[in-house]
Amino acid sequence: MAEKNTVTVRLRGRIDSANASATEAEIFARLAGVGECAVILDAAELQYISSAGLRVILRVKKAYRDLRITNVSPEVYEIFEMTGFTEMMTVEKAYRVVSVEGCEVIGEGFNGKVYRIDRDNVVKTYKNADALAEIQHEREVARLALILGVPTAISYDVVRVGESYGSVFELLNARSFSKILAKEPERFDWCVSEYVKMLKKIHSIAVPAGKLPPIKNKVVASVKRMKDLLPGPLGEKLLKLTEAIPESDRMIHGDFHTKNIVLAGDEVLVIDMDTLSVGRPVFDFMNMYSAYVGYYEYDPDGVIGFQGYDIGVSKRFWHGVLARYLNTKDEDKITGVENKIRVLSYAKMIDWSVRHFGGDEKRAAERAIWLENLIRLTDKVDSLDFEVSECGEAPDELEIEAATENLDKVLGYVGAHLEEAGCPMKTRMQFDLAVEEIFVNIASYAYAPNTGKATVKVDVSDDPKTVRVTFTDRGVPYDPLKRDDPDVTLPASERKIGGLGIYLTKKVMDEVRYEYKNGQNVLVIGKRIERSRE
Amino acid sequence: MVINKEVENGRAVIAPEGRLDTVTAPELERVVKDCLPGLTSLVFDFAKLEYISSAGLRVLLSAQKAMNAQGTMKLLNVNETIMEIFEVTGFSDILTIG
Repeated sequence: MAEKNTVTVRLRGRIDSANASATEAEIFARLAGVGECAVILDAAELQYISSAGLRVILRVKKAYRDLRITNVSPEVYEIFEMTGFTEMMTVEKAYRVVSVEGCEVIGEGFNGKVYRIDRDNVVKTYKNADALAEIQHEREVARLALILGVPTAISYDVVRVGESYGSVFELLNARSFSKILAKEPERFDWCVSEYVKMLKKIHSIAVPAGKLPPIKNKVVASVKRMKDLLPGPLGEKLLKLTEAIPESDRMIHGDFHTKNIVLAGDEVLVIDMDTLSVGRPVFDFMNMYSAYVGYYEYDPDGVIGFQGYDIGVSKRFWHGVLARYLNTKDEDKITGVENKIRVLSYAKMIDWSVRHFGGDEKRAAERAIWLENLIRLTDKVDSLDFEVSECGEAPDELEIEAATENLDKVLGYVGAHLEEAGCPMKTRMQFDLAVEEIFVNIASYAYAPNTGKATVKVDVSDDPKTVRVTFTDRGVPYDPLKRDDPDVTLPASERKIGGLGIYLTKKVMDEVRYEYKNGQNVLVIGKRIERSRE
Repeated sequence: MVINKEVENGRAVIAPEGRLDTVTAPELERVVKDCLPGLTSLVFDFAKLEYISSAGLRVLLSAQKAMNAQGTMKLLNVNETIMEIFEVTGFSDILTIG
């Protein structure tokens, strides 16, 4: 921020010998009494300037050294350039003007919309007056997020959109998850899975101190403003529980709903970064509950206008995401966590609604519903924070150092999935055998003599029920299936020690596949599961 | 893993418990190696063994090779699942299982 005042003077129409001295008088009259200040000559509406006009600007520049000319049209810029003015002072070209009329809205945040302006480019517009500062902020935050590992797009141009500004991003053939959910219901599960993967990724990122604001402060402030709407001690309880949520250095998106997650090409990206902060995951879920359910508790049809899908899809998506994030199918556990989330969501929505629509009757009816729920749930909960591990069953994927001492962890991870799948004991042991052979192989050879990571993932498919375990490593390309099978008919004295593991794996599994793809060894073992008779 | 061992007059009974896998096989290998000198009879009691992987098979194979030169080796109380693994790998033909 500049410490001295900045005065903006608009230049209009034509400035030539006919009106130069009048214009000069006008400018100095405008600046009189301000004292030392920075001057911006806004040339947005300047159509022509003659040498008489240029002399006026020189005299202003002499009196006020800190002078900038902004929003200069291409024609007028040519004049400034020809006369050498662009070397004497800062002359900024007008921003490219982009019209979003009739453009498809592919994303929407609280502060603006994201439009697709052509196949490969989108523009994000800003509602607020201070759009340029906002754009600058979001650019910095997006850059930080990208460096920390969040797949996002960074704007390459700032343009004029109507009365405000927008930033332009290249997003190849981008479609938001809202659109996919609305138009391709068969991809519902895929959306849930990718959405949760991205959310978990964001929540796993430790942000260096001071780079992002803690979201808890904002929520505590909201609760302080609205807590007296709750009867007696419940208001105090709500505040205490909110204050008791632990601090965290983990990244929170702050507005993680399906319009802000896009599929660009085959890459999933997060596009709305201005609400990035740090805090516990419950704060992201707080805003997600509002976005999928809370805001539509009074008017269930409202969601169609915003997201493009109906309230049924919205609620199902919310529930699916929460269950998957928590790795559980246990409805009691899901409800327990959801109650905590709803408490914060209602508190935040009520505060927001009172501040923005205090007198609106329809909004008052909506707030009454929220408040009723908030009172009921605040009474029920004993904390507002939750740990995923509290509920967690088997995680989706295990990334682990490829070392034999981690074998038990890998067996435990796969075993948990097999148990969930209702796999009989004998098949579990056969999986144990195969998993051990493959993992130990990776641990022994993939990165030797160094070490590295391996990823183990379990997938269960139906009809017939089949479990597949996929092992991925970035070690030296090696296809263990190419090895000749040992001759199992030889007597002990002629038997070689080794080669048995892969042979056993092939024997006990129905399916063993190897492939080298994208610099990775990918080995899949699979077996059909007979229903457990136990 | 727990490995019970009795050695007397050139005869040894080794009874491993639990899982014989990549992590635990080296322990069994050490126990076997220690009692090999002068051994004429080696018995593995698998009554409490639940699981065996190729790492365990390797220990059995090298024990069998050693005992072929100096005496006899026998496996007792092999459970059904482990027996299947012996069959798939042809170990049921190499080992004496009783």
